[in-house]
Amino acid sequence: MSEKVEVLKTKEMQELEAKMTMLIQTGRIDNLIDLMALISDNIEMTTSPMVEKMIHTVDNLASAGFITDNAVRYAKRETAKNEVPSLFGILKLMGDEDTRKGLSFMLNLTKGIGKQL
Amino acid sequence: MKKKILIVGGGTAGTMTANNLAKKLMPEIDRDELEITLISNSKYHYYKPGAMYVAFGKSEGYEFVRDQRALLMSEINFEVEEATEISTNGNFVKTKKGKKFDYDFLVLATGCEVAPERIPGLSEAGDWFYTYEGATKLAKKFHDIKKGRVLVTVNFPKTPNIPHQCGIAPVETTMMLHDFLTERGVRDDIEIIYTYPTVAQSVTNGLFMQEPTSNVLPSIFDSLGVKHQSGFTLSKVDAKKKVAISAEGEEIEFDILMSTPPFTATKFIRESGISQALDDEGWLPTDKETLKVKGLDNVYTLGDTVDLPVSKAGGTVHNQTDVVADNIASELRHGYTSESYDGLVIAIAQMGLSCGMPLWYNYDKDVAPTPCSKLGSFVRKGFNKGIYWAAARGMV
Repeated sequence: MSEKVEVLKTKEMQELEAKMTMLIQTGRIDNLIDLMALISDNIEMTTSPMVEKMIHTVDNLASAGFITDNAVRYAKRETAKNEVPSLFGILKLMGDEDTRKGLSFMLNLTKGIGKQL
Repeated sequence: MKKKILIVGGGTAGTMTANNLAKKLMPEIDRDELEITLISNSKYHYYKPGAMYVAFGKSEGYEFVRDQRALLMSEINFEVEEATEISTNGNFVKTKKGKKFDYDFLVLATGCEVAPERIPGLSEAGDWFYTYEGATKLAKKFHDIKKGRVLVTVNFPKTPNIPHQCGIAPVETTMMLHDFLTERGVRDDIEIIYTYPTVAQSVTNGLFMQEPTSNVLPSIFDSLGVKHQSGFTLSKVDAKKKVAISAEGEEIEFDILMSTPPFTATKFIRESGISQALDDEGWLPTDKETLKVKGLDNVYTLGDTVDLPVSKAGGTVHNQTDVVADNIASELRHGYTSESYDGLVIAIAQMGLSCGMPLWYNYDKDVAPTPCSKLGSFVRKGFNKGIYWAAARGMV
């Protein structure tokens, strides 16, 4: 490297060069290049349909998490607010439309799992 | 006595704000001291940017529609009601069915709507991708055209320094159109002309509403063979002859007119008496920092309804909603606001069918255009089809 270029180097560039030299001397730069190549290959090989399918799975998990989170919070609040129901109280709870909707969902969910077993 | 927060509008702004408020104010909800209600004129929630993909046959449209109830936390009351009247003195909103909703705090998040009828001939001869119906109609035309000319036009509100809905959309769709026609193998026989009005928010005689992007666009369009012209403010369309006429006195013939039409706030807001925007456009006078409607201490607004110089887009709402939720929570608890909006907008522009450009700006700093990438496009598409719903639910 010519003396003229050496003088023109900024302090930051010199620091970067020192760090890179260390990575090269210890052989670790090869790992970083491998990692960059891996990331780049993955971007190259990914297609829009693959992204859509992956994100659909993420969306399903997020939706399930949202529903479960809401339901658990509601149940906790109601349980804390009310006395433990008697047998008659439970039957009364079953008369509620939302309870029956939830129960029906749970039974259908069980059936759906059964279909796959 | 129980406090009441009422949110009008079940789009991105209303939904995100309702969920964020419920999260922040859960202790008050648990103590039965607070009630949050959202009213919307539809039981469905539409992700509007998805329509752009429908126009190029890259989505069917149903993927972008969900039940509004499924996007709201269970603590939020949801009612399908069309707001028709507001009393800011009496603190209530009335609906078409005659129902009255009282509030301690009100959030107006009713968005904006296309108003093509404001330009003679545009409704008959123009097309736009800002609604699903419009995008479906446009998709058919783009699939059928074999040769001719597609003319792109853009209109801005008459109220100064306010953008149309989604500022970057005309650029995005012009590039998507180029890619789409290339894919179809007919690009060489179809001329694309991108035009921009003389006055565009803060820029005069440019190709975009912010200067740095306006400056780089000519070379980008040149590289794609897209013709471009500034100083074309669409004022009239001759539907029979298929000619677009500008306020500057120029006429351009077209086979397809892909237009960004005029926009206004919704009828409910325009008739509310709160706005003094020009030409009955209805934009709400908004405090740029607190996001309160000016002069109304317990009314907030965000999203497409505001008169702020930031994009009317989800990437804006995502940042505004936290400010509104924090400020209402703080006012309820301490009696003063605690957050300030700096105009931050974050989005990824779809620059063609497979290239995405991250962009961000605020009140003080314009978008700095960066090269688009395949990875950027994946992030944008991933957001459209999945992450958006988590964001609307207040999970992201």
